[in-house]
Amino acid sequence: MNPYLAGIFLGLVLLASFLILGAGLGASGGVARLGAALEATLAPQHTQASAYFGPWGPNYLSYYLVFMLLGTFLGGLISAVTAKRIQPTVERGQACGVKKRVIYALVGGLLVGFASRLAQGCTSGQALTGGAMLLSGSLVFMGTLFASGYAAARFFRGQWHD
Amino acid sequence: MIKTFFGAGTLDTTGAFLAALIIGVLFGVALERAGFGSSRKLTGVFYFEDMAVIKVMFSAVITAMLGLAYFQAAGLISPEELYFMPTVYGAQILGGLIFGVGFVMGGWCPGTAAVGLASGKLDALIFLGGAMLGSIGFNELFPVIQPLYTWGNQGVVFIYQTLDLSLGSFALIFTLVAVACFWGVEFLELQRGKVTAGGRDKFLTSFSLVLVVLALGLTLFPGTPAPSAGRPAGEADLIAQVESGRDHLDPEELADRLMRGEPNLLVVDIRPAGEYQVFHIRGALNITLSKLAEELAPHKNKGMIVLYSNGMTHPAQARDSLYRQGYGNVYLLTDGLKGFMERCLKPVSLRSEPLAPAAAARVRAWRAYFNPATPGPAPAAGAAAAPRPDQLPQALPGLVDPDWLARHLGQPWLKVIDLRSQPEYNSGHIPGAVSMNVGGFRGLVDGVPSMLLPPPLLAGQFSLLGLHPTDLVVFVTGEKFHDGTLAGMAAERLGHRRYAVLQGGMAKWQAEKRPLDTVLPAVIPSRYPVSPKDEFTVDYRRVLTAMQGKDAIILDVRPQDYFTGKKSDEARAGHIPGAVNRPFSEDVVKTNTGVGLKPMDELARAYEKIIPSKETAVIVHCRTGHQASQTFFVLKRLLGYKNVYYYDAGWTEWAARQELPVAPMVNK
Repeated sequence: MNPYLAGIFLGLVLLASFLILGAGLGASGGVARLGAALEATLAPQHTQASAYFGPWGPNYLSYYLVFMLLGTFLGGLISAVTAKRIQPTVERGQACGVKKRVIYALVGGLLVGFASRLAQGCTSGQALTGGAMLLSGSLVFMGTLFASGYAAARFFRGQWHD
Repeated sequence: MIKTFFGAGTLDTTGAFLAALIIGVLFGVALERAGFGSSRKLTGVFYFEDMAVIKVMFSAVITAMLGLAYFQAAGLISPEELYFMPTVYGAQILGGLIFGVGFVMGGWCPGTAAVGLASGKLDALIFLGGAMLGSIGFNELFPVIQPLYTWGNQGVVFIYQTLDLSLGSFALIFTLVAVACFWGVEFLELQRGKVTAGGRDKFLTSFSLVLVVLALGLTLFPGTPAPSAGRPAGEADLIAQVESGRDHLDPEELADRLMRGEPNLLVVDIRPAGEYQVFHIRGALNITLSKLAEELAPHKNKGMIVLYSNGMTHPAQARDSLYRQGYGNVYLLTDGLKGFMERCLKPVSLRSEPLAPAAAARVRAWRAYFNPATPGPAPAAGAAAAPRPDQLPQALPGLVDPDWLARHLGQPWLKVIDLRSQPEYNSGHIPGAVSMNVGGFRGLVDGVPSMLLPPPLLAGQFSLLGLHPTDLVVFVTGEKFHDGTLAGMAAERLGHRRYAVLQGGMAKWQAEKRPLDTVLPAVIPSRYPVSPKDEFTVDYRRVLTAMQGKDAIILDVRPQDYFTGKKSDEARAGHIPGAVNRPFSEDVVKTNTGVGLKPMDELARAYEKIIPSKETAVIVHCRTGHQASQTFFVLKRLLGYKNVYYYDAGWTEWAARQELPVAPMVNK
């Protein structure tokens, strides 16, 4: 799809979210809730007493962003099925081993999970949503995200070498 | 006007969940169609291989920004309906730096990983698992890194305010930057030999034109709100402003700042108390000229002090006097209260000049917020006159004595709630106290009678009482001290920690011959925010695991005869096996000057014998949750036991659930 058209479509979905929910799009909030639910199954007392997750309980998944994340997955699935783009794989460069890519994905995920709690949002909730709302902090987040991404990019390029 | 789930406070209802699910589906489709189900394509942006991320993201941001700005400019949606995230510079800069590394390393961000997973990418699954663990790590480290989390908190700040531009001009600049980026990355991709689809240039030309025209249109739109306020200025700026004569604050700006709940903004009404009581700007404190220097001392050169009177003369004199005493942060309200009434609160229909829709919407929002006749939307934290920390009792929640209460009566942030019966209240109450029947905080929940109501209903009661989250609420009791602690449980459930119970109750107040009143005070209903579920209420399942696993002490606070089963008002007699009995009445002492709690050291000694350490988990219960509220208050709020839980449903539910065990076993 023409990326600009995809962008317009995405922008309209975001606008609809503003007008219906009164809040923008978000993904890391849902992921964090899943994390909280996971921790609560392993250590219910501890999680309930914890300072950050605690107030979310005991129904950690009863939150609109959890449903939005589920929807995002379903939407991706619908679109990928209709476009015949589903292929179980570990995406990487041909010269990169599965193990390396998996470790990168795991550590990258750890960093992103942590950073999006610290910044109160991710590329969806801060950069995209806060950017469209013209919030200072969100735009600063977007700027530093790209700056640090570009600065760090060369260290992780190996995973895409063919 | 568009009403959103957020605006209605129903973002945690099934309807909102369904809407979020549908919006999520569309979000997923958009991401997948953009090609973001591939981490290789996503990270391509960092290697100048594939710039789709820039194109999609910028198109989306500009589209939504223009759309939202048009809806707002046309007055179709008001800012109160939208959730704006706070700007926390330190946390967001640091977060952005870490996020960037994680993004380029992991190849995904949370939303795209969900789509990647749907496309069969196993690395997306690993990434999401990592992100969950990262969130858990954040939770575990939170006590340590909490200062980082709020480092550089500015509240809600818009970039155009930070840059001192109008929304329209910033939107235009932002759009032009985006369009320049589009052409730049297309050029870059052309240089890199990436083949672009035919006709892309033609499409991009018209797309660019449309965006620029829409952005231009926004600047011409009548009534596009000008930036209402700059960022809170630093100390040096403020002094410079005073020196350069820029020490006036326009009514519109003050109104917006108050509605935003700006911290560090102190509005002071310097008129006589009588005039203040008739009407004042919501959130303003009343300090007379003679006491100004003394009362304002804690705010000297901290934040912003705005003085007002009916006109300008008195505030200007006061400002000059304060300035000579070294105050660099005193502002005057332009045209005083008269100007505020005229420019902010005058109804749209009475104005000589017609107002643009957006301006009219702004006036309506101000009127709704500042006019006492019409309850406004919930004030953001700090908007109501909040007490200074040094004005509060030492430990909250806690106890206050009549002397403390008498000294602070009349403060706008102090709310006294009289929990006695209505005849008692009517025949004489503490001046300014409002009457509340503690039964109003309870009702049937999930089939169990006399349960503390869920947060939305409690917030409704608090709203009717005119309470704000920053208020200090003092509960005044009659014969039953535990009425005060039950009302305290309602506050606890709403996360309202600023509450205290009057030691000795009304009897002590009367015995000390303190003032009484029979006037019904005017109450301005508030919109008390609804909090998420509390952490301290447990149900019978938790009590059952505590009973079986012995990982918590079950403290039954009913009178001894009920504990032993000699007396019973319920389905079955007796108690929860393993429970310890400590009747609530043991904690209070009734004297001829009222019912109050026993001395702290006596209570501490008594509970030391029952509960081994301050960390031990304790579940308190009685028959309906009323008496247990007192033990909860004593243990958690006065004696510092950290893990106290409240089995609200109590013996009423336990006795009625035949499957639950009861001691002592009685053969029928």
